[in-house]
Amino acid sequence: MLTLQSLSKHFGGVRAVDDISLTIKEGEIFGLIGPNGSGKSTTINLITGLYAPTTGTVTLDGYDLTAMAQHERTAMGVARTFQNIRLFGNLTVAQNLWVAQNGHEQRRAHFLPRWFKAGGEHGPDIEELLKFSRLHSKRDVQASALSFGEMRRLEMARALASNPRVLLLDEPAAGASQEDGQLLAERIRDVRDRGVTVLLIEHMMELVMGISDSIGVLNFGRKIAEGSPAEIQANQDVRAAYLGSKHKDEDLIHA
Amino acid sequence: MIDVVQNTLDGLAIGSAYGLLALGFTLIFGVMRRLNMAFGSSILVGIFAGAWLHGQWAAGMIPIFAATLAGAVLAAAYVERLSFAWIRGDAALASMASSFALWMQLEDGIARAFPQRSYAFPSFDILPLLELGPLLLRPEFIAMFLTAAVLVVALHLMLTRTVFGLQVRTLSESREAARVSGVNVGRVAFLTFCIAAAIGGVAGFLIAATDGQISTKLGLWITMKGLIAMVISGLGSLRGALIGGLVLGLVEAQAQWYLGASGREITVFALLFVALILLPQGLAGRADAAARNEALRRL
Repeated sequence: MLTLQSLSKHFGGVRAVDDISLTIKEGEIFGLIGPNGSGKSTTINLITGLYAPTTGTVTLDGYDLTAMAQHERTAMGVARTFQNIRLFGNLTVAQNLWVAQNGHEQRRAHFLPRWFKAGGEHGPDIEELLKFSRLHSKRDVQASALSFGEMRRLEMARALASNPRVLLLDEPAAGASQEDGQLLAERIRDVRDRGVTVLLIEHMMELVMGISDSIGVLNFGRKIAEGSPAEIQANQDVRAAYLGSKHKDEDLIHA
Repeated sequence: MIDVVQNTLDGLAIGSAYGLLALGFTLIFGVMRRLNMAFGSSILVGIFAGAWLHGQWAAGMIPIFAATLAGAVLAAAYVERLSFAWIRGDAALASMASSFALWMQLEDGIARAFPQRSYAFPSFDILPLLELGPLLLRPEFIAMFLTAAVLVVALHLMLTRTVFGLQVRTLSESREAARVSGVNVGRVAFLTFCIAAAIGGVAGFLIAATDGQISTKLGLWITMKGLIAMVISGLGSLRGALIGGLVLGLVEAQAQWYLGASGREITVFALLFVALILLPQGLAGRADAAARNEALRRL
């Protein structure tokens, strides 16, 4: 459903992303892995539209997103979280969700106060999202006053509030403990079970191998492998890219 | 004693106009983290549009008010498109320098189109003076005070209760996060500029109508008053902007009475100095200190 077709992004002479084609199927969790500087973040930024690609296209359900502005892509159903959390710190938890929920709503309604709105809320129910993210008791707390874990949960909830078809998670386990990693895996599955397709970029290999239905591997801006977790673990090129080919399987799993 | 009370009333009235100017600056600087140096000259365009309508057709107050507002908003839209829209969010200094150039351009353009030293602006003198015992209240002063109060409440409600207002506030945090949350950043920034200019236009109209005449010097005057009031208030809070304006107006009115015109200017800069040394968080207090430091850092 999300398709990258021959996508490239060159910065001067640097080919950050070089001729990548990927297809992410509806309802799956797709893991995108690769060493530092392999082009993962650039790929996300090409999908959300921060960068315009040098060549290639991004399509969602057959709609070409390539020429769309970032906020238009959000309205089409692309949402993301950031590796370094970017919340609206001076808004409350509920307001963070409210902004994302209403981003693509009728423009005229933007100037009406909340309680004025007839016909109910637009997009996912904020109260339900707050419960889903275990932030219900914090709904009127300023986002900047949350703990690190709460911030991560809020950021994911904010992404879900825009009613996405596909959610891009940029290293959601960064800064999390092993234990948190387990909870995170459950949360990502829960998100998928809500009907949202997930593209997961992650260094924590255990997490990716454990929950992904398919995995793509990038190295130096090129796709070097794509397949099921088992296929990726057996792939010689992937091992070479990560560890040098001498190492054993366990090293890849625990990298 | 009666002088002090009369000065206080006059000071509060002109101070609410300063507060409105500071409100316009604060919307752009405090909320969006940009300093628009062409703010005063945009308002000047509006005031001269009003004066032109007055001189040409002796139009009534309402069309002149509309022309002032429209002129200020159009000029601000021009400034936004040229100096702010295509300059990236983190290059605030480039925007400021560029808006400084547009200040010069707009002001010089007006000076060429209107070569006389001053032009007449319709005043409220049709309305009677209010006498409260020994105190005199000019009707335009009451209008200033009420307008400022209404606008600051309306603006506060907009920024806290409407989706658009929240979108405006997301811009000062992370434009990238705002975009991926579906916020049309360019449009929101543009509209915020227009709203700030409209508020400035209202203040400009009230100030010009109080004086009954205008000159191109008003542009610099508006910029100075608005900036000083904003800095006193500590940057970044609407309530603070209004308070900063009122304090500035009060101090000016008392100093004018007891020290004369030159003493007034010295007192104002002394106030600015003291405010920066003693109240680095501004009158609005600690809550906004982080936002202010962040704004200054980016500048």
